[in-house]
Amino acid sequence: MNPLIFTTILMTVLLGTMIVMMSSHWLMIWIGFEMNLLAIIPILMKKYNPRTMEASTKYFLTQATASMLLMMAIIINLMHSGQWTITKVFNPTASIIMTSALAMKLGLTPFHFWVPEVTQGISLTSGLILLTWQKLAPMSILYQISPSINLNILLTMAVLSILVGGWGGLNQTQLRKIMAYSSIAHMGWMTAVLVYNPTLTMLNMLIYIMMTLTMFMLFIHSSSTTMLSLSHTWNKTPLTTTLILITLLSMGGLPPLSGFMPKWMIIQELTKNSSIILPTLMAIMALLNLYFYMRLTYSTSLTMFPSTNNMKMKWQFETKRITLLPPLIVMSSLLLPLTPMLSILD
Amino acid sequence: MLKIIIPTIMLMPLTWLSKKNMIWINTTTYSLLISLISLSLLNQPSNNSLNFSLMFFSDPLSAPLLVLTTWLLPLMLMASQHHLSKEPLIRKKLYITMLTMLQTLLIMTFTATELISFYILFEATLVPTLIIITRWGNQTERLNAGLYFLFYTLMGSLPLLVALISIQNLTGSLNFLLIQYWNQALPDSWSNIFLWLACMMAFMVKMPLYGLHLWLPKAHVEAPIAGSMVLAAILLKLGGYGMLRITTMLNPQTSFMAYPFLMLSLWGMIMTSSICLRQTDLKSLIAYSSVSHMALVIVAVLIQTPWSYMGATALMIAHGLTSSMLFCLANSNYERTHSRTMILARGLQTLLPLMAAWWLLASLTNLALPPSINLIGELFVVMSSFSWSNITIILMGTNITITALYSLYMLITTQRGKYTHHINSIKPSFTRENALMALHMTPLLLLSLNPKIILGFTY
Repeated sequence: MNPLIFTTILMTVLLGTMIVMMSSHWLMIWIGFEMNLLAIIPILMKKYNPRTMEASTKYFLTQATASMLLMMAIIINLMHSGQWTITKVFNPTASIIMTSALAMKLGLTPFHFWVPEVTQGISLTSGLILLTWQKLAPMSILYQISPSINLNILLTMAVLSILVGGWGGLNQTQLRKIMAYSSIAHMGWMTAVLVYNPTLTMLNMLIYIMMTLTMFMLFIHSSSTTMLSLSHTWNKTPLTTTLILITLLSMGGLPPLSGFMPKWMIIQELTKNSSIILPTLMAIMALLNLYFYMRLTYSTSLTMFPSTNNMKMKWQFETKRITLLPPLIVMSSLLLPLTPMLSILD
Repeated sequence: MLKIIIPTIMLMPLTWLSKKNMIWINTTTYSLLISLISLSLLNQPSNNSLNFSLMFFSDPLSAPLLVLTTWLLPLMLMASQHHLSKEPLIRKKLYITMLTMLQTLLIMTFTATELISFYILFEATLVPTLIIITRWGNQTERLNAGLYFLFYTLMGSLPLLVALISIQNLTGSLNFLLIQYWNQALPDSWSNIFLWLACMMAFMVKMPLYGLHLWLPKAHVEAPIAGSMVLAAILLKLGGYGMLRITTMLNPQTSFMAYPFLMLSLWGMIMTSSICLRQTDLKSLIAYSSVSHMALVIVAVLIQTPWSYMGATALMIAHGLTSSMLFCLANSNYERTHSRTMILARGLQTLLPLMAAWWLLASLTNLALPPSINLIGELFVVMSSFSWSNITIILMGTNITITALYSLYMLITTQRGKYTHHINSIKPSFTRENALMALHMTPLLLLSLNPKIILGFTY
């Protein structure tokens, strides 16, 4: 793609999200979402083949539906409150519709079906943008309407997402689908604590973005999209196997890595609000996620996976540039001791 | 406490920056020096804890465990030299780094004051152990073993996290130094029953309790020698230590909640001892013997009398040293014959007489021969369980008999009799191996002269 045009489109995506995050008028929010959606379609379709076309179409249809539902919720809110300012949504119907619309945009269960298929159909870099940047805008709206969200619906969607994210990823060997299911599960964790303490949602979002960014950078570096091709990294760059191990364990939420911090904080917040069974259930479901991350580490880092002989002398093409990998690795694995700093967020 | 933690952390740069021919020498020497520093902690003047800071403290219970942990690192390094000799330098350094990281986390776990910090470090010890088992184990079953190990432990400990946080909300702080003074009885309700279960299950899985012990034979057998040593000697004791700490907060539910676990432990110790009589795999036999000894510790902790706590602590230390020594002996066999089958390497007394002496001593301490500290531990546990309920003496007596049976079975099969006709050349015992056994045995024998340092905080 022509670099100038690519830059313009990328900037439009950024601008769309920025508009969503910084507006105080509901109509501008909707405009931001639409701008984001329209601009990301060419990015999803960077390679022109039927697979990406299908993925982009699916993405467009679901997100457009979600935007329309969002518009409906906005209009109902307008009818009942008479104003367009972003505050908590007073009318319960509007609140439920808006929550469903934003859940569709994020990929929460039961609206999660598009996430694996879209993530699988596009290239790794586009998948990266899809799973990290695109989650920021809906999450910021959820943050702003969080006082008025119907708790039952949100918690049901959160727990179901964690379940689906865990079970769905069990039978996958394609890395992008694994990351998609991981995204569904993490979104479940984030929305579970939204009503109680939205700051923790943002913390979880931040750490999730760092870890997903790291994983995708490592995948891009080894140009691998399946577990099998990832298992050849020990031959080519053995150091990345260690990095994959650390990041995957962090994503699974194992102490002492930083992926444990959001889970711990969320469990703490939920227990403070006297729900004990819910965090226990969520924590145990997160073990399903850990299982398929462990399977991935087994084939890449912890064993020397069998490879055919000619792989040992693979052609070394020009090194792909991986942006910011060392800081990302450090941040996605070593942040746990900084947990007492979170008290400044109160 | 930083005087122990920081040198242990610095062992990692020491490994990475050492020359090729100096890595083992450097790390073993410095870890021995660190263990000498930790010996000063055994000077516990009173029953109160020695508080080093708000975050670290040492107590007559945790000091012996800490000394055991630091003592074990040089032993692990000595034991691993042979099987790592053919590996490339970076992998050797990685292995030593994993052992050192595990050591640091264990030291911090045993001295942590805040219970959530204890939890995080308790979980954190899983990661290096998993890496050691799955990366450096020898058979394909190690992958399954690692998964079982990780998931059994995590499944048990996630409810513990929720329970600890809810206790923190109720009482305001989880600092152990404070809790021992403010203990109140937990009100009787269903939710407190689940709280009790949530707190204890993590440690039950780690001990392991008989019904949840499935991960242990797998993990112990598939781990390389240092992994087996640290698993048997220390990681199981983490469960015991955790139980001893957390039962102080869980009265009075323990009086009735403990029954199922007492039954499982009492029956389990006989079951696992009996299974030892039918094992063909040497490491598997030692692993099941670990389950059996730990079941005694569980019985002791759940009865909650002063004598039983003394017995539990003594038994933990004694079993740590004995079990680790048995694994080293089994490994010396494995390095020569590359098989763990017991009958393939029998009659070794004629071939390796000095090693036979170590086998004899290890088997004798395993069956709790007087006056070793194993006996003191077992005796205290048997006596306190007799006072709790007279009938347990039958089970305990049976267990002691069966323990003696399998220990002698192991000794006689490997050492006595005519050697096998297929053994062509067995390398004689290395000085390193003899030193290893001596370093295991000497503390064990010396402690029988003055066992009061390992009798814990109820002495």
